[in-house]
Amino acid sequence: MAAQWDTSRYLGLFVSEATEHLDALGKELVRLEGGVTPEAIDSLFRHSHSVKGMAGSMGYEATTALAHSLEDLLDRVRTDPARLDRAVADVVLQAVDALGGHVKAANAGKPFPDSAALIAQLKELTHSIRPGTEPQPSASTPANAPLVESEGPREPELPPRWLVTLRVASTSAQPGVRGFLAYKRLSSLGNLFRCTPGIDEVKAGKLPNGTFTVELESSEPEAVVSKTVSQVADVALVSLSRVASAPPVPSAEEPKPAEPEPRVVGQEPPRTVRVRTELLDEFLDLAGELMLATAGVREVGRTLEETDRGRLNETVDRLHGLVRGLHDKVMKARMTPVSVITDRLPRAARDIARRRGREIELVLSGSEVELDRAIVDELADPVLHLLRNAIDHGVEPPEERRMRGKPPRGTVKLSVKRASDRVLLEVEDDGRGMDVERLKALAVERGLLTAEAARELPEREALLLSTAPGLTTATSVTDISGRGVGMDAVKRAVEAVGGTLEITSRRGLGTTFRLSLPLTVAMVNLLLVGLGDDVYGLPIAKVAGVVETTRASLAHSRDVPVLQFGSAVVPARELSQVLEVPGRPHDVDAVSPFVVVDTDDGRVALAVDALLGQEEVVLKALRRPLDQVPGLAGVTVLGSGRAVFILDVARLERPVRAAAAGET
Amino acid sequence: MRHVIFRLERDRYALPLDAVREVVNAPLSYTRVPHARAAVKGVMTLRGRVVPVVDLALLLAAVTVSERPPPSPKVVLLELARRELGLLVTEVEGIESIEKVGPQNRSRLVRGLARVGPVSVTVLDVEGLDAAVAASFANG
Repeated sequence: MAAQWDTSRYLGLFVSEATEHLDALGKELVRLEGGVTPEAIDSLFRHSHSVKGMAGSMGYEATTALAHSLEDLLDRVRTDPARLDRAVADVVLQAVDALGGHVKAANAGKPFPDSAALIAQLKELTHSIRPGTEPQPSASTPANAPLVESEGPREPELPPRWLVTLRVASTSAQPGVRGFLAYKRLSSLGNLFRCTPGIDEVKAGKLPNGTFTVELESSEPEAVVSKTVSQVADVALVSLSRVASAPPVPSAEEPKPAEPEPRVVGQEPPRTVRVRTELLDEFLDLAGELMLATAGVREVGRTLEETDRGRLNETVDRLHGLVRGLHDKVMKARMTPVSVITDRLPRAARDIARRRGREIELVLSGSEVELDRAIVDELADPVLHLLRNAIDHGVEPPEERRMRGKPPRGTVKLSVKRASDRVLLEVEDDGRGMDVERLKALAVERGLLTAEAARELPEREALLLSTAPGLTTATSVTDISGRGVGMDAVKRAVEAVGGTLEITSRRGLGTTFRLSLPLTVAMVNLLLVGLGDDVYGLPIAKVAGVVETTRASLAHSRDVPVLQFGSAVVPARELSQVLEVPGRPHDVDAVSPFVVVDTDDGRVALAVDALLGQEEVVLKALRRPLDQVPGLAGVTVLGSGRAVFILDVARLERPVRAAAAGET
Repeated sequence: MRHVIFRLERDRYALPLDAVREVVNAPLSYTRVPHARAAVKGVMTLRGRVVPVVDLALLLAAVTVSERPPPSPKVVLLELARRELGLLVTEVEGIESIEKVGPQNRSRLVRGLARVGPVSVTVLDVEGLDAAVAASFANG
């Protein structure tokens, strides 16, 4: 039995669980400002209580003291929900932040920040909202509550007691931690008595048949108890039964675990395990490598005799199917709801609005829509920036809004929608809108545009000028936004995950930022083309067709060579020139393949040296500095081990086409 | 602090060991990167990873590149926040401790000069290199 409670092993869990509770606390508090219910305050109280308990078991006295003061305040508010006003909410949020600071410090092994002043403030506030009648005594346990049974005197009216039997999965890597966490979770619902076997055994993972039993005194309904347990990974509820009467005075006698009609919990929720996100990344990488390896085997098969090749190909096809299936499953496992990033936004919106003297209502919808976690990760900062931007630059201060006949409280809507194979994320405000003329003027001033080009620039593109580096129309630079560093980063991040950014804005009515995002970092079907010794991949989806002809036979339209394609003519270009790579000297009378592709500006025929076939590959995103290269969508590694760039066909031709404008 | 010492032709350079992931033999061929400047050799694949490689001599424009290729060129792989960058060098000599870096030749890419025993070594600035590399890829 581990007499020494080695906290370092549990630090990681403490950090993640405490952070979850603090996040939930902050989130619920902000929601509360809409309307206060006693249940919601109870929930705040429980989160704070859990943090206190966890900090206590880790031996973090400063954290425990702070959480304790917070809990006292919440407990006081609980008896009189009307007292939860803005001032109280502010202090509670401060305390939540400070606790977050403690958790960070614990994680980094640094000394904890001093929270004495905050504790004094919490105490003072707790005292000041003492109602005329004495509130009910706090149900909370003292700060240094022992982990094992508490045997203090009971109040005459006791909440019901439950006999809770739990099983820790035999596959659990840390049965002791899991069991202890379940214990801690239950302790947040009320008082725990009599853990069989003892809590030290539970912590050490010494559980006969993987089960242990505790008695819980709690006024929570049954459903809450079972839900609380189900939130701990690897722990399942075996039975939950009401203990008929108050237990006898704790004695050496063991309670009979199978006493009054234990209710076996039938339908468990789908079982889940937590997986490190890096592990998911590695799964995807490995699944991708498997696809490449399969392609490699097929490659080897090409050198075989016809008869052997048939049999090999059959097997390779089957292998390919299986690997593809595995890849799909891995992709599915990586799907993450957007709520991972939007959950924190109400809190952020509140902070920004308060600092900037705005009144804001943030309306979230569609946060349950799922995207690949890599994309969700990349979006966290851009979305926060768009929110800041909407509050800081979009929504006017309340007085100004009143003068304009708008409600003083501005609305920012963040909606997420699934649209076929894309996800649309919109951030919409009802603020002052963007000044297109001012953007144009600034762009001209900075030399990004000529005055003439600015005049002719369509509004849609002019609005995108706000994403040019260093361009901002904000009159004052604040700590929040207005440095013009943000919007270009937003655009880049969105494009890096294969998305697009669009802005619509109406003067005086508001601005909408619309992000169109791919669901996954997916497989692409490529047409491989040779250019000298180089190989490039063109997404088949963008290839309209291939024409084999000589350069000499091309027609010309206003000095631009054009190729007859179906009933239309399309401009013909050398791919080597488009990519600015050295090309081979060409015999104008030799037949070359021209690949006709769909770009954003219409069809273009690209002359290449050879067609090398079709291949289904895993697209790898480009990392810096390769993401700086224009015209690339990604890279892949072929079965031969060769890296091949995948061209961003849609945007390949843009600069050149602009020069050749006027073409029909 | 420990540094990796390597040569570009005859000149000696140093990079902090912390920033270096590994040293590998230069590949026989690279995949060409469109639009890139001459200093960019291309990308190589290393155990399934795609790593951009830059000819450090050309990037620094510090030495005249000799006619004959070095017998066994090496790629020094830098590890920068979740990504890698390969620097093509003539030869890697070893690891030495460098504490004092003098201010001579200081620039965006060079932290200064240091002495390792009898020889003078140019200590490079990792962040400066990274910025210069990014610029040579974004030529378009």
